[in-house]
This record gives sequence, C-alpha cells and structure tokens, in this order.
Amino acid sequence: MSGPRLKLALEHDGASRGRHVRDIVEELKRLYGVRGALIVAPDGFVIAAELPGTVEVDSLAALAATLGRELETSATRMGRPSFSTALFSADDGTMFLAASRIGYIVVLAEAQVSVQAIRSALADAVGLIEAAWAPGEATG
Amino acid sequence: MTILRRLWTPRDGREPLSVPDALRRAELRRREGRYAEAGALVARALEIDAGNLHAHLLAAYLHVARRAPAPAKEEFHWVLGHDPNHARALLGLARIAFEERDARTCHDLLRRALRFYPEFPEASALLELVRAREAAPPAPAAPAAPRVERLRLPGTGRALIIGRADGGLIASQPVTDDAKDISEALARTLQVATAALRRAGLGPLHRAIVEDRRDAVFTRTDGELIVSLALPRATDPTQGLLDVNRLWSATHHELGLAAGPLAAAPSSTPADTPGAAPTRRIS
Repeated sequence: MSGPRLKLALEHDGASRGRHVRDIVEELKRLYGVRGALIVAPDGFVIAAELPGTVEVDSLAALAATLGRELETSATRMGRPSFSTALFSADDGTMFLAASRIGYIVVLAEAQVSVQAIRSALADAVGLIEAAWAPGEATG
Repeated sequence: MTILRRLWTPRDGREPLSVPDALRRAELRRREGRYAEAGALVARALEIDAGNLHAHLLAAYLHVARRAPAPAKEEFHWVLGHDPNHARALLGLARIAFEERDARTCHDLLRRALRFYPEFPEASALLELVRAREAAPPAPAAPAAPRVERLRLPGTGRALIIGRADGGLIASQPVTDDAKDISEALARTLQVATAALRRAGLGPLHRAIVEDRRDAVFTRTDGELIVSLALPRATDPTQGLLDVNRLWSATHHELGLAAGPLAAAPSSTPADTPGAAPTRRIS
C-alpha cells in the first residue's frame, strides 16, 4: 500500500502507552491535508486529541463514538463483519474513522486529501495499537 | 474499621492498595486504553468499598469501552439508584438506549441530564442528533420503482440499495428479505455521520465509503436520496466512487420518469419548460 507511513517506535511498557497514543495522533495530524485527529473510546472518552480550536472536542468525540458504535451494532444486526475503516465526505472536508482495539481513530481532513494516503496511515495506526496492546489487554 | 476498609492487604500477594489509589490507577489505565487492567483495579476498589459510586461509574464506562452494554447498563442504573440526577450516568444510559434503537428513552435521559447540567456538550450533541431523527418525516409507502430495479450494477457489484434518508427502501439489487433493514441501518448511520460532520464544521454529507474485511460500500446522498453500492474491498476508491456516481445519475433519471413521493417538489429548472420531459430534481 502506498502513502506516508507512521514513523513510530513500538513501546510495549505500560507506562509509555499514554504517550504512545498521543504520538499516533500527532503523527496523523502531521500528514498532508489533515486538520486534526483524535482517538476516542467507545464510551466517548477522549484518549488523545489534536483538533483545530474551532472544533469542540467533547461533542465531536461523543458523536464519533456514537458513529463507531452505530457501524458496529448495525453490522452485528445484519450478521456482517464489523467495519474496519469508514470515510464521510462533505463540502468542506472529510472525516475518516477507523476501528481499533481501544476505540476509534478519527481524522479530519481537507476535502481533496488523498483517500488512499489517509487510509494507509490509519491502517498503520491501527496496526501500531494492535501491536502495543496485546490481545485481551484492552478487551479483557 | 473504616481505615481497614480503605487500606486493604489482600491475601493473594497483591500489593496493598487504598480505594482512592486503585481508582486513580484505574483512571490512568483507562486513559491509556488499558481497559482490562483498569477493570481489575476497579474490581479491587469494589472489593473494599462495594458502595463506591465513582467505582461503579468507572466500571460502567469500562464495560462500554469493552463493548459490553448489558453490564454497563447495570452499573449506570446502580449509580442512578444512588444519585438520580447523575449527569454522566444519564448520558451513559442514553447512549446505550440509542444503540438499542430506543429513541424515546434516549431522548428522556438526555433531557434529564441537561435539565440539571445545561452546559453538557456531549449530551447536547446527542440530543441534537436524536431530535434531528425525530424531526425527519415519516417514511411514505415505498413507491413502485421498477425502472430503478433494472439499473445495471458494475461487474464486480455485490449489492445496490436505493433508499430515502428516512430509511425507507426504494429498490435493491438483489431483492432480498433484509434489504429494508439494510436501508434503515444505512440511513441511521448517515444521520449520525451528518451530525458528526456538522460538529466538525465540515458541512453536509455527500459521500461515504465503509469497509469491512469483505466489502467496501460506496454511498452517495444529498440528504434525501441514498444510493449505496457494495463492491469488493479491494476496489480502488476512485473506481468505486465513479461507479456509485453513475448509479446516482441513473437513479435520478429513472426516478424522474416514474411517479412517487420524491416528485413532490416542483422544479424551477429548464426541465419545467413546455415540451420538456417532466423531470424531478432531488438535490
């Protein structure tokens, strides 16, 4: 897959994981055409956020988590696999959403951003989270 | 006795931990997405102080974070049993009610939360979403749209859903028993996405791509009509968008020639000029 790669070292010790998620968000924010990013838990709790000052973080996080859960519960009801990534495109920009072990990764980008580049970066971010959070650790 | 309850050394060799310490550590784990570890710490806090409201609230959050709504509901109800106006517990239950398609309960819980805490952005955002759904006009009877049902899918196309933003199904390919449910779920997802885009200041939703491990579903909408095409996951996004755009135009064309509720608004376009075909504009 082409596109920029997230350049992060894996840090497996527990104490560094808070920093690890912040690094992931900061790296996403640096991508060309990206205005902001956040990681939100399925309960709407903001784990890390780098958003423009014009965006009210808690409100967006609440709706992003609701959207992630909506995609998951709809898939379950239909007997389909759960979503991995989604994008929603509007006049003034595009919102990307990726499902991860610890919650949803959200990216706000310019309308003309490279879809493939952001999807690739999101796949990397999810991979980093999957690698750092051992199976069972987040979900118990 | 109080001191013993607050600082308890378990017999299994775990380090002694006070309730505030356990909860503080649990909060830290939660902030790092370490839900299982956070849950274990909350459980230890509850072993010492079973009536700790903060611990029950945290337990509820962690159940939601681990996608376990049933035990989360129990914990939120426990909190409300001890503090009926606890805004966070009301919001938590409202979110679960929304997931369970119980709009009335969701609405009531959010209203309660906002009555006591008017400055509660998460509750306000969700209430706005619920009200937008309630304000949507009821779905009229599905119009007969035989021409839409004859639309040609691309070679790799797996399914096509044509529906309205209120969830009503207009047509599907293939015709399946669950097409109506898919149309409703799709419309619901797009309503939530619309609300999120509005909060992010990005404007009205036009296109969506949702991928799972099998398919990539390409959707186009104008806030009234929804055209959604399922293609293999490996489909290039540009190609998928081209395919759904073609079906979008074809759907407009076909619906423009057929009678149905979407024809209600007269057009002021040149299509209304004498002699022109009676075409409806949806967007």
